[in-house]
Amino acid sequence: MHPLAWWVWALGLGVAATRTTNPAVLGLLVASVVLVVMARRADTPWARAFPAYLVLGACIVVVRVVFYVVVGIKTPGTVLIDLPRVALPGWAVGVELLGPVTLTGLLVAVYGGLRLAALVICFGAANALANPRRALRSLPASLHQIGTAVVIAVSVTPQLVSSVADVRRAQRLRGQDARGVGALVACAVPVLQDALDRSLDLAASMDSRGYARAVPGSSGRQVGGLLLLALLAAALGTYGLLDGTSPPWMGVPVLLVGGVAAVLGSVLAGRQVTRTRYRPDPWGGPENLVAACGVSAALLLVVATATDPAALDPSLSPLSWPSLPPVALVSVLLAAAPAVIGLRRSPR
Amino acid sequence: MIRFEHVSVTYPGAIDPTLRDVSVVVPEGEMCLVVGPTGAGKSTLLRASCGLVPHFTGGHLEGRVLVDGRDTRTHQPRDLADVVGVVAQDPSSGFVTDTVEEELAYGMEQLGLPPAVMRKRVEEVMDLLRLASLRGRPLADLSGGEQQRVAIGAVMTSHPRVLVLDEPTSALDPAAAEDVLAALTRLVHDLGMTVLLSEHRLERVVQYTDRIISLSPGGTATQGAPESVLRASVVAPPIVELGRLAGWEPLPLSVRDARRQAAPLRALLQPGPRGGLTGSVSAREAGAPVLVARDVHVRHGQVHAVRGVDLRLRAGEVTAVMGRNGAGKSSLLWALQGAGPRSRGSVLVHAPGARPTARGQEPAQLSPANTRRLIALVPQNPTDLLYLDTVAHELEASDRQSGARTGTTADLLTHLAPGITPDAHPRDLSEGQRLALVLAIQLSADPRVLLLDEPTRGLDYATKQRLAAALAEHAGAGGATLLSSHDVEFVAECADRVVVLADGEVVADGAAREILVASPTFAPQVAKILHPLGLLTLTEVRHTLGAPA
Amino acid sequence: MRRQHGALPLGRRTVLALVLASLAGLLAFGWPLVLSPGSGLEHGTDAPLVLAAVLVAVIAVVMVALGDGGIDVKAIAVLGLLSAVGAVLRPLSAGTAGIETVFVVIILGGRVFGPGFGFALGSTTIFASALITGGVGPWMPFQMLAASWLGLGAGLLPRRVRGRREILLLAAYGAVGAFAFGWSMNLSFWPFQIGSGTSLSFVAGDPVVDNLRRFVLYSAATSLGWDLGRAVTTCLGLAVLGRPLLAALRRTAARASFGPLPPSREPDDPDGSDATRRVHAPTSPA
Repeated sequence: MHPLAWWVWALGLGVAATRTTNPAVLGLLVASVVLVVMARRADTPWARAFPAYLVLGACIVVVRVVFYVVVGIKTPGTVLIDLPRVALPGWAVGVELLGPVTLTGLLVAVYGGLRLAALVICFGAANALANPRRALRSLPASLHQIGTAVVIAVSVTPQLVSSVADVRRAQRLRGQDARGVGALVACAVPVLQDALDRSLDLAASMDSRGYARAVPGSSGRQVGGLLLLALLAAALGTYGLLDGTSPPWMGVPVLLVGGVAAVLGSVLAGRQVTRTRYRPDPWGGPENLVAACGVSAALLLVVATATDPAALDPSLSPLSWPSLPPVALVSVLLAAAPAVIGLRRSPR
Repeated sequence: MIRFEHVSVTYPGAIDPTLRDVSVVVPEGEMCLVVGPTGAGKSTLLRASCGLVPHFTGGHLEGRVLVDGRDTRTHQPRDLADVVGVVAQDPSSGFVTDTVEEELAYGMEQLGLPPAVMRKRVEEVMDLLRLASLRGRPLADLSGGEQQRVAIGAVMTSHPRVLVLDEPTSALDPAAAEDVLAALTRLVHDLGMTVLLSEHRLERVVQYTDRIISLSPGGTATQGAPESVLRASVVAPPIVELGRLAGWEPLPLSVRDARRQAAPLRALLQPGPRGGLTGSVSAREAGAPVLVARDVHVRHGQVHAVRGVDLRLRAGEVTAVMGRNGAGKSSLLWALQGAGPRSRGSVLVHAPGARPTARGQEPAQLSPANTRRLIALVPQNPTDLLYLDTVAHELEASDRQSGARTGTTADLLTHLAPGITPDAHPRDLSEGQRLALVLAIQLSADPRVLLLDEPTRGLDYATKQRLAAALAEHAGAGGATLLSSHDVEFVAECADRVVVLADGEVVADGAAREILVASPTFAPQVAKILHPLGLLTLTEVRHTLGAPA
Repeated sequence: MRRQHGALPLGRRTVLALVLASLAGLLAFGWPLVLSPGSGLEHGTDAPLVLAAVLVAVIAVVMVALGDGGIDVKAIAVLGLLSAVGAVLRPLSAGTAGIETVFVVIILGGRVFGPGFGFALGSTTIFASALITGGVGPWMPFQMLAASWLGLGAGLLPRRVRGRREILLLAAYGAVGAFAFGWSMNLSFWPFQIGSGTSLSFVAGDPVVDNLRRFVLYSAATSLGWDLGRAVTTCLGLAVLGRPLLAALRRTAARASFGPLPPSREPDDPDGSDATRRVHAPTSPA
């Protein structure tokens, strides 16, 4: 599977998760993400990080609740535990500790935490499923050089780890104790020296294998202008987005113009790079399916919030049980679909 | 194919040129070997032939170098990538990606070749260098020989006409070296590639070469057919030295050629009534056991690297551990020293001056500082021990750490390798000098037992001789030495005893002469030529020739 | 007068690009203080996501601008290896409360190889480590930019300071920088992490001072220990390892003598000629 397909799928689910605070929808969304990860992950180091994301998600919910209990603004409602209020000294104006914990307040905290947790777990799923090395191969040509540095970093890391172990072991031979400032220096310096010496060897090897041939030179004013325009638009657009009083065109439209300029500049700069790709990851039917699942799951919920906001944000005053609107159910099923569809027959 | 015209190279900051007025030609389709002592500019010559000197390293190049008609002054190394393929000394340091297949394709990606062509060439090169079985493997998991072949393959995919290799087999065990050399000869013979390589262990390559460029310490070069150049060369493999001694004509380069001419010499060396050669290589007498290891096991995760090794090292004895890569040699050495893991068994070292009946000490149970007073190890990569910015600082730190009198390490170093500037950066030293520095540091604690892991990697003949002398001296002073090595010539020169490991077990243990002469893989060249006489080294031949007179 | 030093020389255009990108970055980091009611991002959950997307684009564009015209292959290799060193250090530190060693490498790299290199190093280090550990998320672009600023700043510190004073300068810079890193990350994710409805929460449209006060209380209550730990370890790391690591890096910088860019490079940057660049490459035997 192309790594970007997983990213599109996961980002789609992330967007879907931010559209709702309905715990039933969020819970099912998280369940489908977990299902897909269990079904599709390989035994790779990055896939093993996924449980950590689940723990992180749980922590987010717990932290929200703790914050609500300790410093929350206590809204009226059904009181669950009546904690005494503790007033703080003058410098912390407006902050009160503890106070009566209400069901409504607690649920607001839990729902908000769940939404954030679901978002984080979606990112965790993308991290677990997409092979980062292969993802690096999909960087645009204009990022060839910096991308090469990252490729190098990712591929030498395991060797650096063993180099640290070797040096520490070797320093023992010299009678160096394993602790203390001296040991730190004695370990850090050879490791860094090795890495640096190695980098020059690597550069020689890359150079004599034709590396910089692919980068014939600067691509002139046009590209520079486009890139600067893109950055200017990013700064302006961000401001426009944040400042509610600025004219509406200063927000999203400017950002979009900037995006177009960035893509154009990047494509033009990338034309200068003449390198080719050996066996690029194919983007075919399965990739389309997986990406479409994520995108349509997001679209469904975006449209649903626009038409029927109440169903996706269950009312807390008066309290009501969260319902499961049919459109959300469809969205969740779409999210879980990659567990069974989009399988490639002969994985490379 | 490659033409040097009055080339002199001076590095920035250096006063004397590294190469001085070199004019040599490497014709197309030849395998050409660059020989010379350390520091004579072998690497510089190789790097000048692919444009890395001066474009990459800096420095000043006079004269001109033409590669397939392209002048390196106007062509950057990358512009020569489709003509010259370069393989560095440590192939793993030049890998950009992390799997075999991607690495093979990397150069072609940079040249912008169409995907279909890349696909075809990768398969071709895999067949040519027998890499197909390694296709998807991570580069870090490959053995040294496999890495070297992948590195050669990675430049071959760009279809260069010339291959330049810096010491391609120095770090390899004999079998892996054979693989790499076989691959190279196939490229020369079947494809008509031009190969330019340097190598310290001439005994391995000299028989395959068509031409030798010999560099002198001053940086001047002579070239010619191997027989004629080696006749006068300062560095020569044992076979050539024997040929020179016996006055053979033409000078033999392979064991086969030498044996054909050796019958008269063998007759001359035939043991007289006084008896054959059976004794120890050195005249030393082994004393009491200094180190006793029983049933040593080492496990690294799933791998059972050492399985129940019993070993005794005696005072005044130099023992060599031999065996394939991965046979457990390094693990054994580290376990004996105590710094490495040991899952079972015991190691006892008898302190100097203790009663012979007293129980020895376990190195693993002492603090690192105390361990090294008993038993010291020089690891395979001695540079790991060095962390300061000048030799002088390293020497001071060493005196302090071993609690020795100020200047002890410096004296040891001067003795082992004279002429090292104290202000030099340890990493700027040659491999031999670095080894000497680390050996001096380890000897400053005056250990009873000295362990060396592959000490001869990358050393030239002169440095090896000095190392052998240092080991003999340590043994002479009542110390015990254990070294692991693939270098049969060096082992024949200096070891009294040889232990052969295979798959973590001891398969042979005995006097060096018995083990080495009998083994087809571990026999030194002289022994192979003079078989069944049982002479191991040139020194012995000289000695025997001199004795009857 | 333009400064011209380092492995990744900055042209006029690149400097401008860095300034604009930093402007966008400042807005993205400080959005809770800028946000006014009526904005589309009033909803606290969306802002970090939208801004992260903007920052990804901004960083990518700056990297394209940095790379345009060719980077010395040695600089690429050193960048890759130093990023790897940082990426190895990062997971080591993440597990232990507040210990953060990765900034030591970024700061020293920026100091020795110049501001452009420092900027690139910050981003590539965080990116590589996120890829290796599976830590790609909406926080990553913020971390990348913050680390890049740290490297850039280290490259812009006065160059004539050497010896003991240089270490002092770097250690002080490291302490302040590492602390600021933590607080700026807090600031951009504050409304996101705590949600609304607590007395430490972000309130869109409140006076900046009130929000700032709540933010300081929130930061002090949640992450002061981590931030202090990060500042102290960075400072100590630089104080202890600074001298030997600087020596090692400078030795490589001298050996690499970051040389001419590809020959077909356009002369849009007259200072980039071979002759001047050699001046920056101290002569030393290879």
